[in-house]
Amino acid sequence: VSFRRRLLLLFASTVLLSVAAVTIIISVMSRRAFDRANDERTAALVAQFHREFDDQGAEISRRIQSVAESSDANRMLVAAAQSPPDYSPFLNTAQVIAEAQRLDFLEFADDRGTIISSAQWPAKFGYAEPLATQAPPTTPFLKQEELPSGSALGLFAVTTISAADRRLYIIGAVRLDKSFLDRLEAPAGMKVVLYEGSSGGFSPEHLVSGDAREADALELAPIIQGLQASHQAAAALIHTSSGDENVNAFPLTGANHQMLGALLVTSSRQIYTQLRAQIRAAALLAASAGLMVAILLSSWVAARVTRPVEQLAQAARSLAAGNWMAEVAISRKDELGALADSFNRMTRELRDHQERLVQSERAAAWRELARRLAHELKNPLFPLQLTVENLLRARAHGQQQFDETFRESASTLLTEIANLKNIIAKFSDFSRMPQPQFQPLRLNELFESVVKLHLAQLAKTAIACKVEVAVEEAIAADPELLHRTLSNLISNAIDAMPEGGSLGLRAREQNGSIRIEVADTGKGLAPQEAANLFTPYYTSKPHGTGLGLAIAQSIVSDHGGRISVASEPGRGTTFIIELPAHRDKLSATPGTHV
Amino acid sequence: MKRFSSVLIAAASLLSVAPALAATRPHYGGTLRIALEESPENFDPAALDTPALRSLSRLIFENLVQMDDRGQPQPALAASWRVEPGNQRWRFQVRSGVILTDGTPVDASTIAASLRAGNPHWKIFALGDLVMIETDTPDPNVPAELGLARNSIVRRANGRSLGSGPFLVEQWDAAAKHLRLAANNQYWAGRPFLDSIEVDFGKSHRDQMMLLDLGKTDLVEVAPEQIRPAQSGNRNLLISMPEELMCLVFARDPQSDGEVRLRTALARSIDTTALNNVIFQAGGEPAGGLLPNWLSGYEFVFPSGSEAGAPERSLEPPITLTLNYDSADPVARIVADRLSLNAKDAGVHLEPLTSDQAELRLLRLPLASLDGQLDLEELARSLELPLPAFGDPSITALYTAESTLLQAHRIIPLLHLRSAVALRPAVHQFQIGADGAWKLENAWLSPETP
Repeated sequence: VSFRRRLLLLFASTVLLSVAAVTIIISVMSRRAFDRANDERTAALVAQFHREFDDQGAEISRRIQSVAESSDANRMLVAAAQSPPDYSPFLNTAQVIAEAQRLDFLEFADDRGTIISSAQWPAKFGYAEPLATQAPPTTPFLKQEELPSGSALGLFAVTTISAADRRLYIIGAVRLDKSFLDRLEAPAGMKVVLYEGSSGGFSPEHLVSGDAREADALELAPIIQGLQASHQAAAALIHTSSGDENVNAFPLTGANHQMLGALLVTSSRQIYTQLRAQIRAAALLAASAGLMVAILLSSWVAARVTRPVEQLAQAARSLAAGNWMAEVAISRKDELGALADSFNRMTRELRDHQERLVQSERAAAWRELARRLAHELKNPLFPLQLTVENLLRARAHGQQQFDETFRESASTLLTEIANLKNIIAKFSDFSRMPQPQFQPLRLNELFESVVKLHLAQLAKTAIACKVEVAVEEAIAADPELLHRTLSNLISNAIDAMPEGGSLGLRAREQNGSIRIEVADTGKGLAPQEAANLFTPYYTSKPHGTGLGLAIAQSIVSDHGGRISVASEPGRGTTFIIELPAHRDKLSATPGTHV
Repeated sequence: MKRFSSVLIAAASLLSVAPALAATRPHYGGTLRIALEESPENFDPAALDTPALRSLSRLIFENLVQMDDRGQPQPALAASWRVEPGNQRWRFQVRSGVILTDGTPVDASTIAASLRAGNPHWKIFALGDLVMIETDTPDPNVPAELGLARNSIVRRANGRSLGSGPFLVEQWDAAAKHLRLAANNQYWAGRPFLDSIEVDFGKSHRDQMMLLDLGKTDLVEVAPEQIRPAQSGNRNLLISMPEELMCLVFARDPQSDGEVRLRTALARSIDTTALNNVIFQAGGEPAGGLLPNWLSGYEFVFPSGSEAGAPERSLEPPITLTLNYDSADPVARIVADRLSLNAKDAGVHLEPLTSDQAELRLLRLPLASLDGQLDLEELARSLELPLPAFGDPSITALYTAESTLLQAHRIIPLLHLRSAVALRPAVHQFQIGADGAWKLENAWLSPETP
């Protein structure tokens, strides 16, 4: 991963983490604020419920007191005093009075607990009313009232009237139903729901809502069931079709503190949900903007930081490619400026060192050349010196001997002078290596001419020669230079097989290149010998100049190819020449320089 | 049947009230105004099933015979009849000179055609001025059956039903629920005293009483539970004997002994006395049997509801039975509630069900006739129970048949309810039979005094 990308990642992650952290903090604070406000509103609504409960209770007490003062109540009391009492005239009395007094439930019971008349369940006459046989509460209270079709919660009040030793109980109530809940002024987003029933699990039928029967009533089941088990206030978050809602549940208890139902205050989390969505949208926007800024900033910083580094890297690559003059412009005074300065200093030192090395090598080369030249020239000079000394001594011995010696010496002198000229010519050739003249060259013809030149030597040393040319088409090459190269390699091979052997000449096309192999079965080369084989003036032969293979390498290199050697001691040596075919040059004018 | 005719005579004498016995001379003319709760769709006598409607039907249509207050068949369109030995072939001499309201004579063929429509199991022949009826099995009750409203002689033509009664339909406005009957001047027994009768249908009992109190009507129905309050209001009432059977009817026969025990426990749990005294304000009597005691003379041997002894313990686990009743009737609703309360004590949960598929139905069945055997037959027929078999017309046979019906555990009798009417003092010679039937044919109105 590049520095630029790392920098971008660093900047982006920093921005994103920051935005995420801020978002989380704001979200948490918003939620806490919403929860706190919700708790306060719930408490206010519950307090309002209790106030309404007390007000309604007082109103019910007032109404049943009014009933107690009615003539119907007195007639019932008189009837109760009869033996046996006849309550049949009062079958519908409670219904009529309840309607007049706007009471949902109204029952009259005698002091034996027998219901005389019931508004909510007229058929229940004659049955027992437990409230009349116990000491009824003196203040309004909640009670679960059995009805023909189930039961209902009511806010009850009881009063009694008496005459002589008879008492009449008047039990009136208002049902805790939708109209009761409608009196509560719930803040926007809040609802009050009643659940009637203290046990037996959850049933949606027992829900009484201030708005409507809850469509998502089943969501309330867990909190109701928990309340039925613990009888303790509880809170929960439910998921409804209209969104999330907070639910606070409070047990509703009767006169004996038994749980009769539950008051559920639901609060929509829509405002918080919207706020949270807005926070998230803002965070997303901020993150996007931050990301853009991060990209721009990282690009700018990367540009400031990486440009010098890239320039440094470019200069280093250039240096590695051999450009000893590579330098980096220094435009900063920071660490990167120091680095660039160090690089420039390094390149300068490298250049100096290189120059010194070149000079040193050049001097060494001159010394080597001088040594070689001296060595090569010294060999023929010694016979020349002896021949001249013989001539001088022969002058002293007489004309005849001198003549004989002169003839012999003259021949020797000519031979050695020829040797000297040959040596000088080789050095001259090496110093003046001509550029290849590319022309169509058929390798089989080249091989044929070279082999023909060495047939006598091959025959003399009993070397079998095998030529395999698998290249039909002509290639572009300098026939004379390649001829010289092959001839040199064949000569070396013949020298390597003084006891005879096998010489292989092979040529084939491989991957668009021409591969030429010259293989002998001589004694082979040691690894050290193979490594120095192409070094000028290196030779393993007693009378070699060490220039043959150097010249061959120079020719092959000038053709754009390369020469290598593969050898193992005792198993022969193979020289491998790889040449580009250069067939594209065949259409060019013969003699074109590459 | 004659054994308890004395009871009927006594009952009838009790029910005839002072106005009918007034020494005032009958007065021709006037329009009697009646308000009724029921609202019939037509006036085909086969479809009129309440005592009041049947009474109206008798003003328009006649039968071959009519039952008197003692439950004895009396000549009507049949001047006389005789039966051949074996009680399977009956010959009725058709009264001569009777004409339908369109002027066509009522002959044997008209009567035979009318009777065939309602009695497919009879073979009916018109032989000159005789109508001959043959039954598959001996049937001593043929004359009584011919007195039923469904055996009224009617000729149906062009969507109209024509009769030969003392009144004829002058106007019927189904939308306004108003009927006007005019006196039949050609009536073979003589023109009635009243010129016309106007009936307003579909009036609740409360509205009827208000119309009566306001002088807007002359005669109204009084529901059983309203009889006592009406009496306390010093209104002019005519009250029948307890005749309408209120009962619980099971949809099917019990399938096991456990089901028999359940039905017995349910029957015993019901406090019929409280039902009668409180809900119906003593407007009837607790019923142990299907026929009222004044008719059968033996009903007291069948204990009523909890009089038979409350169930020893409630059923465990509680059993639920679905109960169907007329939910539009507030009295039926409160009765059903009371039954549910009582049944709950016995471990039976009665669940209201408006569908006809309910296992139990709360029904009110008016007395069909003053003939006990015929009543049992009609009751069994209307409830689709096996028809009782009577070996002879004795009270023993009647008791045996009723016991058999009760022991089938398909019916739990609850109450026998009275029917009553309230009428203005200007109405004279109006009578209500023991079976709740109205006798309007001889009624007359005294002139209004300013």
